[in-house]
Amino acid sequence: MEKIISLSHVTKKFEVGDGYFTAINDVSLSFNAGEFAGFVGPSGSGKTTLLNIIGSLDSPTQGQAMVMGKDIAKLSHKDSAKLRNFHIGFIFQVFNLLPVYTVFENVEFALLLQDVPKDERKKAVMDALEWVGLESMASKRPDKLSGGEGQRVAIARAMVKRPKILLADEPTANLDSANAHAILKTMKTLNKELGTTFLFSTHDEKVMTYLDRTVSLKDGKVVSDVMNKNQKVKA
Amino acid sequence: MKLAFTLAYKNLMGAGLRTWLNVGILAFAFILILFYNGLLDGWNQQAKLDTINWEIGYGELRVDSYDPYDPFSIHDAHKEYNSEAFPMLTPILIRQASIYPHGRMLSIALKGIPSDQTQLELPTSFLTPEKGTIPAIIGKRMAEAAKLNEGEEVLLRWRDKNGTFNAMNVTIVKIFDSDVGSIDSGQIWIGLTQLQAMTGLSNEATYFIANKAYSHQNQQGWTFVNQDKLLHNINEIIATKKVSGSIMYLMLLAIALLAIFDTQVLSVFRRQKEIGTYIALGMTRRQVVGLFTAEGSMYSFLAMLVGTVVGLPILSYLAIKGISFPDVTQGMGVTMASRIFPVFGIQLIMGTMVLVIVSATIVSFLPAKKIANMNPVEALKGKLQ
Repeated sequence: MEKIISLSHVTKKFEVGDGYFTAINDVSLSFNAGEFAGFVGPSGSGKTTLLNIIGSLDSPTQGQAMVMGKDIAKLSHKDSAKLRNFHIGFIFQVFNLLPVYTVFENVEFALLLQDVPKDERKKAVMDALEWVGLESMASKRPDKLSGGEGQRVAIARAMVKRPKILLADEPTANLDSANAHAILKTMKTLNKELGTTFLFSTHDEKVMTYLDRTVSLKDGKVVSDVMNKNQKVKA
Repeated sequence: MKLAFTLAYKNLMGAGLRTWLNVGILAFAFILILFYNGLLDGWNQQAKLDTINWEIGYGELRVDSYDPYDPFSIHDAHKEYNSEAFPMLTPILIRQASIYPHGRMLSIALKGIPSDQTQLELPTSFLTPEKGTIPAIIGKRMAEAAKLNEGEEVLLRWRDKNGTFNAMNVTIVKIFDSDVGSIDSGQIWIGLTQLQAMTGLSNEATYFIANKAYSHQNQQGWTFVNQDKLLHNINEIIATKKVSGSIMYLMLLAIALLAIFDTQVLSVFRRQKEIGTYIALGMTRRQVVGLFTAEGSMYSFLAMLVGTVVGLPILSYLAIKGISFPDVTQGMGVTMASRIFPVFGIQLIMGTMVLVIVSATIVSFLPAKKIANMNPVEALKGKLQ
């Protein structure tokens, strides 16, 4: 299997007052292409920070984070933007849909940045909306959508460019149980059909039941790394 | 760039009222700047044209000793001329005199001008001599000061070339209305030959008005003052007005730009999550800065559009119909018509457009460049201060 993400002794410290807060402490992990994995742990355990580093929104203070063969710390702003634009999709807890755009335009956005021709764009957007069952909502604005629909648009927006990696930060935190399951099923299907690597940050039990691999974090350290629920990979 | 403008357009249209308030104030400033400067340009153009048509023509050829700013120079400021030597010039003779309207005495400049001249717009055709009286024309300011009406007679006293006083009634045959106060106040115009005969200064003049075809060659005892020099005062007044116009221009623009600047500062602060999302979706920081700058400059494009739609009919109407000013402004000493027709030249319109667009872009860029230093993680959380 192709190793798509490799973290080696990654440490992330943030300045707090006169000192530092260590959000990630010497984490070494790797993920293969097509994994459906997640970071779990209490608030402040470093889940989101890890996702941000993998998503090249942040860089490690120490250690090396390699994503698709690229050293995150050494990427220029332009190169990290390119990496995100073409290969990494994000799903956020509060959806972060662009409020003045329609559902179609929100999903289309990443393809506009990639300069995809209009016809191809339209087809790709409608395909993505079909994956999440929202083709009929294409002309609606985000404020007209329910929470579940909003998160499904976010999934479509993240998936429309068919990224290699999809990073989901607490994607079900603002959803009811039924919507959470629906979303997770959709993501699982996309993972299987498109081979996209899904990485979650969550402390939602529902999400954990869907994960093929669970990396537990506490105080910035990996405390367990479990495959297929019972198979322990690394501690 | 195209993407920035496409997205900026969507963002502005999506922002609704906020956009239209900014566009409205910028369009208002744009129209007001055009109106104010157009009015000044119209006034300036009219003042110059009226001065040329009513007073100075294309220059004055003066007797060396004549100083228009020194009334004492008038007495000796006359010289014989050969009309054949000055075919393109209109002679004017000035003498000091007094009139006695309704028992009062007023000192005046008595000016003689050929009744058949066409160089100046003075209605000199009314100065055809009649038996027993001297026809005279005066301006409405003079008429008001002397309380004289058309058809009224007034006693005129003058000195001939030997210094002997003479007196005779003149009849006000015409009261003309001119915007140029300097050919009106304290002056009475009569026929040149009449004045020459009255004063014994046959074939003499104080100065000549040149026409367009006149090309000056040195004349002994005469000094030529060209049109530019004669318009010097007006040009200086125009320059002063232009300074005040520019201040007004900048103030109006500053108010409008302040609104855009304020919106941009607020946008960068309020739209942090959006900025973080743009970056997460793959935009470079430079692209985001470009997008916000494009949004700001697009306000100016939309303002131009709104300004054209709203302003074009209003300004066109004013340019055709003119704007009337109360008669009281006539007495201000500045050449000012009772109705001014604003002039909206292409230079003014294009210059204002370019200035508004460039300055709107600059004030949009200033807050937006903060985005370049933004931490996208903090922006996504909306935690930046």
